[in-house]
Amino acid sequence: MNQLFTRGRAAALAFALGAAIVATPAIGANDVTDIGSLDQQALAALPQFQAANKQLNAYGAGLQKQYVGRAQHASQSDQQRLAGEFQGKMAEKQRQLFGPLFGRAQVAIASVASSKNLTVVVDKRIVVFGGQDITNSVKDLLTGVGDPVPPVSTPPPSKVGYVDQSAIDQTPKVKSVTDDFLKFKQEQDKAAADKLKGAKTAADRDNVLKDYRKTLDDQQNKTLKPMVDSTRSAIGEVAKAKGLILVVDKGNIVFGGVDITKDVTDKLK
Amino acid sequence: MIHSACGGTQRALAAGLGALALTVSALAFLVLSGCSHGATKPAPAPKGAVGYVVMDDLVKKHPLYEQLARYDRSIEAFDLTSTAPQVAASDPHLADRERELQKQLNEAADRTRKLIDEKQKQYQAQESAAIAAAMRGAGAGGPSAAQIAGSVNATAQQQQRGVAVQAQRDLNAYRSTLQKQDGAQVAAAQKALSDRADRTYRAKADELQSKESALSLKMASEDAPQRLALRTKLTSLALDDAAREDAQKQLTAIDRKEADALAALRNRDQQTLVALQAQLKDQVQSELTAQVAAIRKRSEGSLAQRQQTLSRQVSNLGGPVVKTNVVNGRVQQQVSSNLPPALRGRIEQLHTDYQKRFAADAKTTIADFEKTRRDLGKRFAQLHGIDGASQQGAQAQIMSLRKKREDLYGEIIAQIDREVRLIAQQRGISVVLTNIIAPAGGVDLTPDALKDIESLHE
Repeated sequence: MNQLFTRGRAAALAFALGAAIVATPAIGANDVTDIGSLDQQALAALPQFQAANKQLNAYGAGLQKQYVGRAQHASQSDQQRLAGEFQGKMAEKQRQLFGPLFGRAQVAIASVASSKNLTVVVDKRIVVFGGQDITNSVKDLLTGVGDPVPPVSTPPPSKVGYVDQSAIDQTPKVKSVTDDFLKFKQEQDKAAADKLKGAKTAADRDNVLKDYRKTLDDQQNKTLKPMVDSTRSAIGEVAKAKGLILVVDKGNIVFGGVDITKDVTDKLK
Repeated sequence: MIHSACGGTQRALAAGLGALALTVSALAFLVLSGCSHGATKPAPAPKGAVGYVVMDDLVKKHPLYEQLARYDRSIEAFDLTSTAPQVAASDPHLADRERELQKQLNEAADRTRKLIDEKQKQYQAQESAAIAAAMRGAGAGGPSAAQIAGSVNATAQQQQRGVAVQAQRDLNAYRSTLQKQDGAQVAAAQKALSDRADRTYRAKADELQSKESALSLKMASEDAPQRLALRTKLTSLALDDAAREDAQKQLTAIDRKEADALAALRNRDQQTLVALQAQLKDQVQSELTAQVAAIRKRSEGSLAQRQQTLSRQVSNLGGPVVKTNVVNGRVQQQVSSNLPPALRGRIEQLHTDYQKRFAADAKTTIADFEKTRRDLGKRFAQLHGIDGASQQGAQAQIMSLRKKREDLYGEIIAQIDREVRLIAQQRGISVVLTNIIAPAGGVDLTPDALKDIESLHE
């Protein structure tokens, strides 16, 4: 439940942030040739990851049966305790299966990035054009004989920064506003569902949905947007102070980059 | 792999080219240089600038965005109406109606039990009469046969009337319940059929619109180079009037060609939709008629069966309770040990026979009620089934819409990527990213890309 709630809030903020980014005038073309990209889905399709995934699924199915067996006659509080216990087991198994694979992949990525003199490697999904795609090199290292060798030197400072949006979501100001918005949205969802039940024609249905969307947009502009603007402004100020060209979400960074999350959250307090 | 491959090459060179020391040295130097890429600094890559685009803004300006938004609205509508918890139980009164039915059936079962009690008394009276007759035949004395027989018959007739009234009341209640259930079932079937037809129609409309959008996009993409060349030509100041007019005409011709092709497809699609609507209407009507007929047939069958059972029960009570004029008037379950063995055997036989007949009669009555209860339970389950099928259909529709939405979004993004790549190459940008949170100093390519995307509308 908490996980869903957090995810919902993160989604609301991410949506608002994404929608509210306004293009500022270009300050000037900065020379950056050290950005690499990696197709993480291609790595996930490697046999060792597939095998680990299969094992995890089988383990999860077994746990599920055990949970149902133990939870069906348990009280609600016991069910919650059991759910926590089984989630812990699942997470431990996941660490056990994927931990070594991720560690090996991270070394391979660092090794390739170092050999290509990259300061940052981002997820391929956010690259529209250019950059150095290191997916095949990393795959070669991971499927080759022996373990990849870690690079001898740390990467030079990058001009690309990143923030952990989930950490920003947890700052009191942001959390309060997003919680209020989610509550408002739940009420609107219910009201729209009731109206849709009464809609007799496709036109009625469209009108209900348009009203619903407009109400949410209006509320978003009224409550979320000012907070998003101030957050974006804080990120931009920190980025400039650190000489960064772009800031992306932590989830899109595979290797390197400059983490400015703490500076931003400090500024937002 | 990189390291092992390099190692293998070195070993092969050392083994195969040992005699040619000078050559080996030169080759080994080249190979080692290549393998120690990480150790020595490579030649710097050509310097370029980093740019970014705001993908959401570009997607919103794309010619297919309206179609994408329509998918979003449809998905939103399904999400709100089909997966919201407050709507999941589409008929909130179903459980109440089921409880009410159960109550009615329980009351009917109670009345049945009373009926059985009365029958038991009648069977006991018949048995006593038969036993008295047997004793009379064996020489035992007793009160006036005609007197007692009259009394017993009067009681039996009174009981018979009471049972007939009660049976009629039960039948009426059962008929009323069946009628209500028929109404609910027909309404549910009608809604399910209409919803299905509506989904089919909307799916077809979406499919046709996707094709129209795809055709529009395809033509715009195919004509884009020619259109761009003509526009570039028109921006040239050196162009004379005749050449300018010619270029303008060519542009207009391209626009007209695309508009005509699209209009022709739209006309065909409209005809297809009109035909589909008529077909769906007929189909719904036909299926509904069949389902209504089936529902009524089942109800009529159940009612007739119930009526027959009750008539049988009542007619069973219509026969003479006392068949002979010799009665004792005393209910006697136990056979006296003082009676002669033959008479005692006869009485025991009579007792067993009447007990068996009563048990069989009672069993039939109870089984009839159990069957009725099961029958109505099944019909409620069918109602739930229709509801469940409707929910599953909505989920499948959501999945289908999401898939279509993803495919369309993929097409839009692919085209935007192509446009952005061209712009980046023209402006000497080496990397372009999207999903940027703060563009502190990168080059914003969004305005240029917006112009190109908007030109696809023309």
